[in-house]
Amino acid sequence: MGYDWDFSPVWRNAGPLLEGLGNTLWLSGWSIAAGLALGLVLALLRLSRSRVLSVLALAVIEFYRNTPPLLHFFWYFFGLPILLNISMSPFGAALLALSVQSGAFFAEIFRAGIISIEKGQWEAGRALGMTEARLMRRIILPQAVRRMIPPLMERSFELVKTTALAATLAYGELLYRAMVIASQSFRPLETYSAVAVIFFLVLFLASLGMRRVEAVLHRGRR
Amino acid sequence: MDYEFDFLEILRNADLLLRGIWLTVALWVIAFVLALVVGLFLGIARGSPRKILNWPATAYIEVFRNTPVLVQLVWFYYAFPVLTGIQTTPFLAASLGLCLNTSAYCAEIYRGGLQSITAGQWEAGRALGMSYWTLMRRIILPQAIRRMIPAFTNRGVELAKMTSIASVITVHELMHEARTLSTQTFLPLETFTVVAVIYFFLIYPGTVVASIIERRLNARGA
Repeated sequence: MGYDWDFSPVWRNAGPLLEGLGNTLWLSGWSIAAGLALGLVLALLRLSRSRVLSVLALAVIEFYRNTPPLLHFFWYFFGLPILLNISMSPFGAALLALSVQSGAFFAEIFRAGIISIEKGQWEAGRALGMTEARLMRRIILPQAVRRMIPPLMERSFELVKTTALAATLAYGELLYRAMVIASQSFRPLETYSAVAVIFFLVLFLASLGMRRVEAVLHRGRR
Repeated sequence: MDYEFDFLEILRNADLLLRGIWLTVALWVIAFVLALVVGLFLGIARGSPRKILNWPATAYIEVFRNTPVLVQLVWFYYAFPVLTGIQTTPFLAASLGLCLNTSAYCAEIYRGGLQSITAGQWEAGRALGMSYWTLMRRIILPQAIRRMIPAFTNRGVELAKMTSIASVITVHELMHEARTLSTQTFLPLETFTVVAVIYFFLIYPGTVVASIIERRLNARGA
């Protein structure tokens, strides 16, 4: 292979690339936070006694779990502004698409965690005269949350990978910055390889961190 | 919300979307079948005690699982030809990227399934004088694959959603045709809504099948 590697365009553009990584993490952080909040609401609706609310939440969850994320990016960027007669920034559309879709996945994790708590815990709380809301807050959620943490973290890593799709809306995250650099420097191989390495380092270190957390949770249970 | 929907215009272009669906399905079938084959060998190598097999397989799996699939497709389309001098078509780059990505996940499913088979099965096979591959083919895989089916079905669903990302490297699958149609008709809201529904009906049956199989296996206590 007689190819001359030249990483100088990558080093010269280290600033924009790091800024892109910052934007990737910024978008990820807000989407995870919004997704968790939305997921909790969806899970509670799904578990509510009202049949209408439960079916409605189920429909939202199943729809978002079974459609491609890229489509949601486009729907929120090009479709929603027409429906609501508003203007939409690439960041806003990406945030909505990511948080609604991961909210649907988070909801299923929350629900599975909540229903995994034995019936006796509910009965004991009720016998003490606790209201449903207080029982949920004081007894059920603290126990359920430990079981939810590993799958929630795994889903969050998926979300971080999905933020790369925001490049298609020209949001200045890592991949988009790389696309600009690659087309200006005619060095796609070096640029995209560098981006792959950066993503890998971030996500791989995060997954090592997750294994630590899992070990701690496991130890705490015994 | 006084927007007037115009779905008729979308219906008039049904042939465009149908062609897109066809290519989406083709991409899915090619990538999934190849990934199942490649993943088997990777999974066996990953579970092997021999370092020369284990380490490369582990590295491959971690790289593909810890980078965004869009970065992988962009890499195979724009960077891979620079490295090898082989100009790939968008469809080839997309099939390759999706197949390699999915094979990394399939490898982990195979490994988990193979590990779940008790050592006694291996010992019994060896005592009968079976070779490694005969044992694998006749005894281990038939038992293990049944347990892996729900996980593979979920992978198939994930892959179906991922095919939409091929649109970014100009494969004319459903998502790409949707983008073309939305700019031609100036009807992004209707187009992306209709295409979301199409994707849902293509993908949701897979999810339903996965949960049915899972429930059956659980009921049987396999």
